Amino acid sequence: MSDRPVPHPDRDSAPYWEGVSAGELRLQRCSGCGAYRWPARAICNRCHSFQAEWVAVSGLGTIISWVRTHQVFMRAFQDDVPYVTVEVQIDEQDDIRMIGRLAAPAPVIGMRVRALFEGDPPLTVWHPVG
Amino acid sequence: MAFDLADKAAIAGVGYTEFSKNSGVSTLTLATRAIMAALQDAGLDPARLDGIATHRVGDSIPSSVVAQAMGIRDLHYFVDHFGGGGSSQAVVGQAAMAVAAGVADYVVCYRAINARSEFRMGGTGRPTVDSIETQYQAPYGYVAPPQQYAMVAQAYMQRYGVTERHLGAVAVTQRRHASLNPHALMRTPITYEEYLASRWVVEPFRLLDCCLETDAAVAVLVCSAERARDLKQPPVTIRAAAWGGGQTLFSNQQPPPGTSLAAQMAPRLFGMAGLKPADVDVAMIYDCFTPAVLIQLEDYGFCAKGEGGAFTLSGATALGGSMPVNTHGGFLSEGYVHGWNHIAEAAAQLRGQAGDRQVTGARIALSTGAPGYVGGVTSALLLEGGS
Repeated sequence: MSDRPVPHPDRDSAPYWEGVSAGELRLQRCSGCGAYRWPARAICNRCHSFQAEWVAVSGLGTIISWVRTHQVFMRAFQDDVPYVTVEVQIDEQDDIRMIGRLAAPAPVIGMRVRALFEGDPPLTVWHPVG
Repeated sequence: MAFDLADKAAIAGVGYTEFSKNSGVSTLTLATRAIMAALQDAGLDPARLDGIATHRVGDSIPSSVVAQAMGIRDLHYFVDHFGGGGSSQAVVGQAAMAVAAGVADYVVCYRAINARSEFRMGGTGRPTVDSIETQYQAPYGYVAPPQQYAMVAQAYMQRYGVTERHLGAVAVTQRRHASLNPHALMRTPITYEEYLASRWVVEPFRLLDCCLETDAAVAVLVCSAERARDLKQPPVTIRAAAWGGGQTLFSNQQPPPGTSLAAQMAPRLFGMAGLKPADVDVAMIYDCFTPAVLIQLEDYGFCAKGEGGAFTLSGATALGGSMPVNTHGGFLSEGYVHGWNHIAEAAAQLRGQAGDRQVTGARIALSTGAPGYVGGVTSALLLEGGS
């Protein structure tokens, strides 16, 4: 457990991880064109503005894919296998897709989910809604 | 076009090391063995080499060290590109540009890896790749290429009705090809039932959906088409080379699930050569995992989007089919040299030296790099023999 990879915020992403610690999904919204940026970075890949504000988003999304890992790729996860990892498209923008765990045994593409932040350090766990 | 790369350069020599799970030697030794084999194949004196090029992901010796070991005293061209399988065909394409531009005369391109005994891609023996995306993935135990490709595969399969039957057809077909290849690591034919019975690695991938992790090197000698005609082997002309990319699997602005970066690049590739997909006689398609073959069959235009599985199941991609694919057994069964044994097999087919797996009359071959899902870039070559 102790050798699990922990989040390593970089100089662009620290506010994202502060949001996770505060129990909020926060993203950069471009001040130039209004698009959300993902992953966190200084420049907008649509309008090339360097201006953005960090805002809380709904935390709602839809599972667009999932995998169930059986092989131990990192020893730190050997007690977890098999475990499910999901890819979630957030409601705010359809080209932003995030990785996380799922708080349900049976993932289904199209399942509606909400991000909660659990554990120490806190990480995204997607919970089925509706 | 100000400068036409088509047909200016050729592959004049190809060299392999043995493929194994534990080479017992350094990547420097692997590189120099493959390079010497390529030079011997071409009949070129090592003293004539003036260019060297490779790509690495922190898993192999730098090309400058290999240049020194080869005794190249006056290097005119070098590349030590950071990148994985998406860069493989690009390294050869860039060498073609270098010789076409007259920067160098004889460029040896290679990839040397102890990908089983030293630096496994699976994340067990090496640090994760330096990327701004890793921080959002590694804490979840999502670190290895099979996980990333499995995520692509699950969405692709759902969207287009592709099933394990289709993935299995890729594995079974390529193993049958490998059974005809004395160089292949896995030569015993498999049935679909054996495919189904292989253990889960990452659902939807079973063990037999995944490429082999291999210790090996492959080297390719690139020179002008004119110089190649004076060497020992029938020249393999580089009809076209293409580079593509711009989105990774994780960044916004990515293509829709199940479409790779090859889709936007392929028209440029065929355009440079003045060819169309139907002109290709044999294709080496980057097969790190089975669905990568299906997705690229579609994205390079050999069948319609979503039809790669049915196309493969029909037998079209088998030896004797309309579009033989990965005749050496590919990364799934011959060995995994990160894109490079595809180039070597394409050359073998175009020279008519592929033995029992020879595609009769093969004149045009496609060789592709990783389709971009992890590294965010891709590349490909169109090659012609018999000129």
